[in-house]
Amino acid sequence: METRTVAVNQYILAEKKRRAVEQRDNFTQQNTFVVNLVSSPGAGKTSLLQATARFWKDQFRVAVLVGDLATDRDAERLRPYVPVEQLTTGGACHLELSLVQQGLSRLPRQTYDFLFIENIGNLVCPASHDLGEHIRVVFLSTTEGDDKPGKYPKMFRTSQALVITKSDLLPYVPFSVEAAIADARLIQPEIHPVLTSATKDEGIKDWCRYLENAREATLRAASQTGAG
Amino acid sequence: MHEESLIRTLLSQVEDIAALNNAVAVELIEVEVGPLSGVEPLLLQDAFERLKEGSAWPNAQLSVQQIGLDVLCKYCQRESQLRDFRFVCSHCDSAELQILRGDNCRLLNVKLQVNNSCV
Repeated sequence: METRTVAVNQYILAEKKRRAVEQRDNFTQQNTFVVNLVSSPGAGKTSLLQATARFWKDQFRVAVLVGDLATDRDAERLRPYVPVEQLTTGGACHLELSLVQQGLSRLPRQTYDFLFIENIGNLVCPASHDLGEHIRVVFLSTTEGDDKPGKYPKMFRTSQALVITKSDLLPYVPFSVEAAIADARLIQPEIHPVLTSATKDEGIKDWCRYLENAREATLRAASQTGAG
Repeated sequence: MHEESLIRTLLSQVEDIAALNNAVAVELIEVEVGPLSGVEPLLLQDAFERLKEGSAWPNAQLSVQQIGLDVLCKYCQRESQLRDFRFVCSHCDSAELQILRGDNCRLLNVKLQVNNSCV
């Protein structure tokens, strides 16, 4: 009997990361732009998706995978607008790629221009899990406070866009849009901010244009490198 | 919860390594976590103690090493270690930084007991 030390020196999530990269390449090849939506519970992800679907109407083919611990309430809210599959995690605090792939297989078989993955409301755990998305968008509602970004550095560092929701409540809450954006930029200088209100249809056009441009840029870059 | 999922992935990795080396026991698993890994070392240790009971190696130990958040400045090309998640180069104040280390959880080494005759 002897003792042997095996040097591994590998990220624990390396294999999951590899599978996520593969899934992302698949999405790119199908021209499907995938957006992972993250926030604390109740920030307004589902409401903004409803407004997004209303804005685009038949302009783009959109599908949604929506994650929750229990119930299919969010899926029911989205079903009048787009093909949607509910991913229920039981108790798990975040979505993982395997759940997303299961959901994908249940969606109607067709090509989508946009796939939204609405993550579990949680600003911590979803930050560590690549779901094969092209961009991660973090939502922050005006009722949560403008000092949140600094408290959840990983989530804000790994997000490409910041959607501030419920702008219609700004007159009633002590929330500074400038302070929230400045705080987020200390962690992620390149984060793209959008101010929205789903109930008043404010900023929806900016948000949709941002997505359309991001999709175009991603697909163009992929076709240039030949990877797509 | 999230730490448990990480430990499950880790244990299955260690099982592969043990099988590959014909190990009869796993003594020590050494991992490294950074400030932006999304993992709390104490919770990781707790999750390991809970989950190793049901694993093939109930006597294995976990050693968690904490490292800093190291970045490379894309502007001045120098490295620095960030404090308090303020993403600014300590040499030139640029915010264009690439993370080198500290945003992940890494399996460093696995110490095994192997049976000589099997190798």
